[in-house]
Amino acid sequence: MNGEAGLKVVNLRKWFPVRKGIVSTLLSRKTEYVRAVDDVSFDVKKGEIFGLAGESGCGKTTTGKTILRLLEPTSGEVYFEGRNITSLNKLEMKKMRRKMQIVYQDPYQSINPRMTVFEIISEPISIHKLADSLAETEEIVYKSLEDVELVPAEDFVNRFPHELSGGQRQRVAIARTMVLQPSFIIADEPISMLDVSIRAGIMKVMLKTKEAQGITYIFITHDLAYARHICHRGAIMYLGKIVEMASMDNLVKNPIHPYTNALMMAVPVPDPTYEKARAVISGEVPTPINPPPGCRFNPRCSKASEICRREEPELLEMENGHFVACHHAI
Amino acid sequence: MKILDIQNLKTYYSTFKGDVMAVDDVRLQMDRGEALGLVGESGCGKTTLALAIMRLLPWNGRIVEGKIKLDDVDIISLDEKTFDKDYRWKKMSYIFQGAMNALNPVFKVGDQIAEAITIHEDVEKKEALERARELFELVGIDPERVISYPHELSGGMKQRAMIAMALACNPDFIIADEPTTALDVIVQAQTLKVINDLQKKLGLTMILITHDLSVVAQTCTTCAIMYAGNIVEYADIETIFKDPVHPYTQALISAFPSIKEDRRELKSIAGVPPNLLDPPTGCRFNPRCPNRMDVCTKEKPEYTELSDNHLASCHLLTKEA
Ligand SMILES: Nc1ncnc2c1ncn2[C@@H]1O[C@H](COP(=O)(O)OP(=O)(O)OP(=O)(O)O)[C@@H](O)[C@H]1O
Ligand SMILES: Nc1ncnc2c1ncn2[C@@H]1O[C@H](COP(=O)(O)OP(=O)(O)OP(=O)(O)O)[C@@H](O)[C@H]1O
Ligand SMILES: [Mg+2]
Ligand SMILES: [Mg+2]
Repeated sequence: MNGEAGLKVVNLRKWFPVRKGIVSTLLSRKTEYVRAVDDVSFDVKKGEIFGLAGESGCGKTTTGKTILRLLEPTSGEVYFEGRNITSLNKLEMKKMRRKMQIVYQDPYQSINPRMTVFEIISEPISIHKLADSLAETEEIVYKSLEDVELVPAEDFVNRFPHELSGGQRQRVAIARTMVLQPSFIIADEPISMLDVSIRAGIMKVMLKTKEAQGITYIFITHDLAYARHICHRGAIMYLGKIVEMASMDNLVKNPIHPYTNALMMAVPVPDPTYEKARAVISGEVPTPINPPPGCRFNPRCSKASEICRREEPELLEMENGHFVACHHAI
Repeated sequence: MKILDIQNLKTYYSTFKGDVMAVDDVRLQMDRGEALGLVGESGCGKTTLALAIMRLLPWNGRIVEGKIKLDDVDIISLDEKTFDKDYRWKKMSYIFQGAMNALNPVFKVGDQIAEAITIHEDVEKKEALERARELFELVGIDPERVISYPHELSGGMKQRAMIAMALACNPDFIIADEPTTALDVIVQAQTLKVINDLQKKLGLTMILITHDLSVVAQTCTTCAIMYAGNIVEYADIETIFKDPVHPYTQALISAFPSIKEDRRELKSIAGVPPNLLDPPTGCRFNPRCPNRMDVCTKEKPEYTELSDNHLASCHLLTKEA
């Protein structure tokens, strides 16, 4: 392992067994699997912000959770700062988890509505025994609230989540993560109801702390316009696989995979003189239970040919650091 | 004549802490065939304005003052029976925020649309079902899918089914409240295209409510920017993006990222949205405004007409040069 890699993911798989009905159990039919993450490899350098994008259901969240072993991988390895964390036992993993955190970017789900802001943020401090006294706990909580710009902190500590706006709740969730001083964060943003002023503010808070602490980030999103401004590099997922991986600049300006291309064209642009967004591909992501043979994108791809229906393309490096899995890329 | 003419509309919610002034002195006029984007941050009163127009406010909401005219008829003073019979869902229709989750899970989608038709029009069930099939075709869903249950449809299809439902009684004015917010990029692009095509093909007058400026840029002909219960700027879509004059509009536009520009630091709008139980005096944006003057904290700015179709309420525009 080289020292530069903050995180290295190797051939990661997460398959969920499909629950069978009684009839198929009796007939002892073969178990089917949802191949949510199917042979994914990438690495993220220390201090880098790596974007993971793709349509709903393509496996972004599952990838994130499996990396942190919130879900046990079906196969594959994850190395963090040179250590294979897939082989750690429960106790070792618990210690490791302090450094590796996931922030769910949904302010309505990520914090306990019955706890006060103080309780929410101090909970991880006591779980990981980061303070020796109440005074020290208070100091950490207040400092973290100031970091996420919830000031003056004493106005917020006794509030319950319902007394906060969406953006304020989100900041509390971030503060809760930051008190652990993680060196790796997965920020998972589901399709978001948050509006732009709130989102930009949250990004700013997260990136400010990033610069201060050199944290490695995986930023999960479906919003490519945001990813474009936040991430250094990124990967596009389709049905459990990475189809393209490159610098954010290259992904946006020179997409090679037909799916990446379609995604980029579908992103609406805040400029009325710009040609209207077209629906470039039809249909939605098929279920990952029985993915199509060959290239998984072939049923929706305009370039699909015979080989695409037969052989699964490998993720290959086309030019410096630009990886693509497409038979027609070469 | 304007199809929609709203004057000095105030709509409040009573709560035990006092009145939430969710829509406060809104003036808005629309031409036939106009596609207006109503934009503003969460909680600024967009849905409330739509509910007031449709007369669908919850029990604690009420229109305090003002006029809403549709085709020159004051629809606030109509009695409920007439409004329900001739206006709501017939002349004007509304696609609720989060509507795709409002389909009843135990009935087939086509039956639900057919029922909406038979309630409002004197037609047989069979004819209504046939209409449902046509509507499905119109919004780009295979007509055979009318026999599907909601859970058998994808998010994008459910959203389109809701659009079909809103069009069931041939309204010529529709309000769509965040119709694509819960959809991902590709399905969003597909849905916006359906909305765009229908609006043009049927000559609909439309209000599209969203907080996503890029959706407005690609779908609408005009845009109204709402802040804390007020419409602070209104103009045709090119002007809003090219020459916005209100500091809030300017801040909103520069905060919005585009995939077409080079990587940059995203700006946010400093400060927090005001509490509508006790909004700031004077201009409601003044506590967050980078150009605040003395007068802004004291007097509410009037609308200034900058050109034919461009209105804004900001003291900077009337300040002595
Ligand atoms: N616990 C589970 N059991 C079975 N299937 C699952 C489970 N969790 C996820 N899946 C399936 O795995 C696939 C990937 O889901 P995942 O949540 O990772 O997608 P995502 O890319 O994060 O989508 P979104 O953008 O909607 O959040 C989906 O088809 C989903 O239904
Ligand atoms: N039934 C109600 N009782 C009291 N206050 C309400 C009620 N409904 C809405 N409000 C308040 O009125 C204000 C405007 O709400 P509205 O739903 O119109 O906002 P919006 O602009 O549609 O926001 P969003 O983008 O989040 O949908 C908010 O401050 C909200 O909290
Ligand atoms: Mg997810
Ligand atoms: Mg709303």
